[in-house]
This record gives sequence, structure tokens and C-alpha cells, in this order.
Amino acid sequence: MKEVIAIVRINMMNQTKQALTDCGVDAFFAHEAQGRGVGFVSPAVLEGTVQGYEEAAALLGEKGKLYPKRMITAVVEDSMVGCVVETIINTNQTGMPGDGKVFVLPLSDAVRVRTGETGVKSIS
Amino acid sequence: MLTMIRAIVRPEKADKVLAALMEAGYPAVTKYSVAGRGKQRGIKIGEVTYDELPKVMLMSVINPSDKDFFIDTVMNTARSSGKGAFGDGKIFVSDVEESYTISSGVKETDYVKEGVTP
Repeated sequence: MKEVIAIVRINMMNQTKQALTDCGVDAFFAHEAQGRGVGFVSPAVLEGTVQGYEEAAALLGEKGKLYPKRMITAVVEDSMVGCVVETIINTNQTGMPGDGKVFVLPLSDAVRVRTGETGVKSIS
Repeated sequence: MLTMIRAIVRPEKADKVLAALMEAGYPAVTKYSVAGRGKQRGIKIGEVTYDELPKVMLMSVINPSDKDFFIDTVMNTARSSGKGAFGDGKIFVSDVEESYTISSGVKETDYVKEGVTP
């Protein structure tokens, strides 16, 4: 089993939910998060900052500002990981900075509270 | 393999920790609010016991080699003055098998093998 954590734009949530359902992942949970990434930094701007140009420093913008995002967590079988990651990337990709990240973490066990089933059975 | 650090800190310390992380060269952090209690079973003020205290969770995925420095940075800024106090929080470390940037579709775990920072 793997835990897939995706951080996506808020306005992409509906599309992402639909895409995940189409992909066969019905169960996941989401919560509000705020975050910042490495941002859009081009090598030319960085070089300019190093050489002391104020315009370049201004282009780097407000560092450290947190943007509102949604964090989706889905627990899926090993065989589904590729499909889920691909679906999330294809749905959310606009090519601009701020599209988000996808992380895949190992998960040792899961239990369904209602029946007490463990392992893969509990998530299928 | 990358490393995910999840730090639970006091809400009033979150900004200080975020600034310190930026200074230390870790701009990418995700923050969300959580509520919880520790082994002190919450806090008792007079007759009232609060067993769900608001905290802030900071999550970041970094190179395994930066782990100790990152933890030191968070620990030193999140700790209350002096020797620290109950409720300052926890730091958890877990492995990340794969990591993708959505905007470019790049799989960062591939770069780590070649020794390049994501």
C-alpha cells in the first residue's frame, strides 16, 4: 500500500475529484493547507541579483508568502500508484509555478474501522 | 529517496519557524492547522481541561542529507525561551518514495540519485 499526498490549486479540486473517480480511486480525504514553493526563479534573474541589480531583486518578489492550497491524501494499492500520480499531474498541470506537488509514501498497514479488516482488503 | 519532515509547532511560533526556514534555504513548506494533545493530556486551567489544543503542522520534503540541519533549524526556533516547555511540539520524519512537480511533471527522486538538489 502507498499513501499518495498531492498538493493542488483550490480551483482544480472539482476536476481532480472527477479525474480520481474515473481512475478508480473513490476514497480520499482532503484538507485546507497553505504553502509556498521554490517559486519561479530564472537563472538570469538570480545572476542579476548576485550582481546587485535592484530590478532583479524586485523580480524575485515577496519571498515567504503562503498561498492557500488543498492537500489530498489517498491510500492506494501499489499497482494503482502510477495511474493516480499520472492522473493528478495531467489534471492539474498548467505549466505555471504553483501547480503543486505529488508525494508517494510507503504505508505499512490500514484498518477499516467498521469491520476490522486490515491490509489491502480495507481499502478496496 | 527523499525525506518528509512534519513538525507540529505552536501557532504563534509558526511565522518565526517559516522565516528561519527561508533563511536556511528551504522555501518550500506546506502549513496546515491541526488540533491535538500530548502525553500531558492537554492543559488544565482551573476546573476546565482543554484536551484539544490548536497547533500548526509544517510539512516539507527535503534531501535526506539535509535532515539534521533542517530539524535543528525547526527545533531551535520553535522551542520556548530557556529550556523549552510542554506543548512546544514534535517533529516526525518519514521516507518519501516518489516526488513529482506538477507544473513540469518532473520526477525529483530521479535527480537525487545523481546528487542534484531538487
